Amino acid sequence: MLKLDDLSKHFDGVRAVDGLSLEVDQGEVFGLIGPNGSGKSTTVNLICGVLSATRGKVTFKGRDLHGLPPHRRLNAGISRTFQNIRLFGELTVWQNVWIARRDAPGREAGFIRNWFGSSARTREAIEETLVFADLAGRANDLAQNLAFGEQRRLELARAVAARPDLILLDEPAAGMNREEVEDLRQRILALKHDGITVLLVEHVMELVMGVTDRIAVLNFGKLIALGTPGEIQGNAAVREAYLGSPDSESA
Amino acid sequence: MIDFIQTTLDGLSIGSAYALIALGFTLVFGVMRRINLSYGPSIMLGAFAGTWAFVTLEAQPWLVAVVTIAGTVAVGMYVERLCFWAIRKDAAIASMVSSFVIWMQLEEVATILLPGRTYPYPELFKFGGIDIGPYFLRMEHVTTLAVAMFMLVVLRLLLYRTRFGLALRAVSESSEAAVYMGISPVRITFWAFVFASFIGGVAGYLLLAADQQVTPYFGLWATFKGLIAMMLGGLGSIPGAIVGGLLLGVIEAHTQWYLGNAVKDLTAYLVLFLVLVLRPGGLLGQGIVERHAQAFRRI
Repeated sequence: MLKLDDLSKHFDGVRAVDGLSLEVDQGEVFGLIGPNGSGKSTTVNLICGVLSATRGKVTFKGRDLHGLPPHRRLNAGISRTFQNIRLFGELTVWQNVWIARRDAPGREAGFIRNWFGSSARTREAIEETLVFADLAGRANDLAQNLAFGEQRRLELARAVAARPDLILLDEPAAGMNREEVEDLRQRILALKHDGITVLLVEHVMELVMGVTDRIAVLNFGKLIALGTPGEIQGNAAVREAYLGSPDSESA
Repeated sequence: MIDFIQTTLDGLSIGSAYALIALGFTLVFGVMRRINLSYGPSIMLGAFAGTWAFVTLEAQPWLVAVVTIAGTVAVGMYVERLCFWAIRKDAAIASMVSSFVIWMQLEEVATILLPGRTYPYPELFKFGGIDIGPYFLRMEHVTTLAVAMFMLVVLRLLLYRTRFGLALRAVSESSEAAVYMGISPVRITFWAFVFASFIGGVAGYLLLAADQQVTPYFGLWATFKGLIAMMLGGLGSIPGAIVGGLLLGVIEAHTQWYLGNAVKDLTAYLVLFLVLVLRPGGLLGQGIVERHAQAFRRI
């Protein structure tokens, strides 16, 4: 489904991502882990098109994404959440989800309807998304007035609203307590159940080990291990590079 | 007392034209956090296209209106492409300076096209006005006021009730996040410019139809009045643009009536200065002054 081929990104000689090749299969939850600065965020940004690769390519559903501007990638079926929450604070919860929907002309009632109103079907779908994120009761509140946990859920709702084929979750569990992490785990599994492919970048090992089908481990921009959660936990190189680093303590 | 009320009415009339121009400034500032100095000159060039149609083609007033508005929109698109689209988001100073440079360029073009100082502009109504008791209202002024209120309502609806408006507000808040919602900030900015220019064209037509003449100085005048009205009412606030415009008109009318023409502009600047010292965000902009503080400093 998603294929990275010799993907590289160099910043002024620093190899943030260095010849990364891997393949994410349709419908799996794929973990991407590694110490801080190992190139995870850069990889996500390369897939989203905010950064352009120094070398290599990203293929999604058999299509080379090279040159496709970021705002077109949503229509290609890729959505994402942000490590630092980036909601539209002055819009309501409902509007945040509405704006994220992928109602391309022709898919629904056409251009005018899409830009100047919302059909019953659209409203129903938004309602559904809000229920999924447990935000139905807060539809009319401004996003900036939500509690932290709710904002995180709205981020996820917004990414889901576009009905993507692939969701990139960039450290969605950051700052969450144990209960919230478990909630998030259930939601990711629900996405998987709906056939959505998930690429999870995360420091919280509890979540990564508990939800992913496969994990790729990066260090200094290179792939150092790839396997099931069990295999990764037993991998000596990973222990040395990642699990042994002070970073895992803070996570 | 009758004088006072009549002067206030006159002030509200001219003020509603200021309000329209301030709306255009606000729309562009609201989306891009940038000030387009060449907004007034764009309207002037559009009006020159209108007067050209009037003088050489003997166009009807309605056609002059269409040419003026279309001309302003066309110039607005040119300004957007040349000095806002081409210059990156973080270079706010550069784009403001380049909008000033384009201002000069537009004035040059206007004087080359029509080298005379003053050109006639068709009036909107043949009949003069309406009497309400001891008060007299010019028809053009009533129309301008009505159009300004109408535009305010349309703009509010557009921004708060349509998905286009949502996209616009989303881009204004975080264009990076908007990109991931499938919104193209480039396209939204372009359309914001088109709308702002449309409003400017309408304002220009109404003002000039009341004056029945147009000069190259109209651009400078419009940028001046629009900027002051916007700052007075509140940076980036739509109701603020209307309030600021009307207030500026009333202040000017009263100082002109009681103190004379010479102090008219001086008083307007003094009031603006006081408002900015006491309420840096403008009269209705206080709530958003925090949010705009960054942009404010950048400008």
